[in-house]
Amino acid sequence: MNAERFKLLADAYGANLDRWPANERAAAVAFMGEDPDAPVWLADAESLDRLLGAAPSPAPSAVLREEIIASAPRAKAGWMRRGAWMSGAGLAAACVLGVVVGANLSGLYLEEATTDVSTDVSTVFDGTAYFDALEISG
Amino acid sequence: MSGGHDPDEALVSGVGRGDPASVRAFVSAKLPRMAALAFRMLGDATEAQDVAQEVFVRVWRHAPTWRPGPARFDTWMHRVALNLCYDRLRKRREIAVDVLPEREDDGPRPDAGLMAADTGARVAAALAALPDRQREAVVLAHYQELGNIEAAALMEVSVEALESLLSRARRGLRAALADLKTQ
Repeated sequence: MNAERFKLLADAYGANLDRWPANERAAAVAFMGEDPDAPVWLADAESLDRLLGAAPSPAPSAVLREEIIASAPRAKAGWMRRGAWMSGAGLAAACVLGVVVGANLSGLYLEEATTDVSTDVSTVFDGTAYFDALEISG
Repeated sequence: MSGGHDPDEALVSGVGRGDPASVRAFVSAKLPRMAALAFRMLGDATEAQDVAQEVFVRVWRHAPTWRPGPARFDTWMHRVALNLCYDRLRKRREIAVDVLPEREDDGPRPDAGLMAADTGARVAAALAALPDRQREAVVLAHYQELGNIEAAALMEVSVEALESLLSRARRGLRAALADLKTQ
């Protein structure tokens, strides 16, 4: 480190040595103990740093922050994200089972009951499609 | 430019998954930084907010496919914000050229007295009067507190060139604000 380099660094980065190139800070500190002009150059740089600190910087409003947060894409709900079609199929199977058991049970109590299971199954799969649609829109 | 671990890695990953808590934390951490960068470059709060908003639109698109690499995510955001600022500065110049013949720049400014009374406004005006690249160097190195290597890489110049830009910028600011320095 020499006077020319020290002055250039103070001119460029200001008085805060933390902003100086990391590999030159130790040499700069050592130089300050050697050259009586070094603190003067730093004081000059510091006065400009203080002025720069006076420049306004309006904080972003809470409204803007919330608008930006609301604009972010959202994750799908966990049960939909993890193999939604499997969940739909499981639901459909449970419904089919319910229909079959229900039909058999009703047969025990109502002799004239002749449930068309295939019709009910198609209705159940329509329901599965509805859940898929939910996933897409979510 | 950093090498090593990106301090934003976990948050960006959460943002990429659409995790609401990560999104909130990320916006809270980065919005003031992006808004300040845009405001220092443009000197206009409304335009700065527009730029900040646009930066986050790009973040939402980029985060799901982002993987840690040599450049930090924060550096990438700075690049996006600077590009958006330069787009606006270019448009301003085009408009200024259109109206230039009608402007009268000679003589005292009507608001000179008001500005002299307000150090902050004076400094902001002096910053705004700097050439764009000099202002960019000051904004990145001084206000955004980027390291010299990172700032130079962002500006696509050498560290020596960055130091030259900074020196010239600070010299210009010192001259423009000379009457305030002794106060």
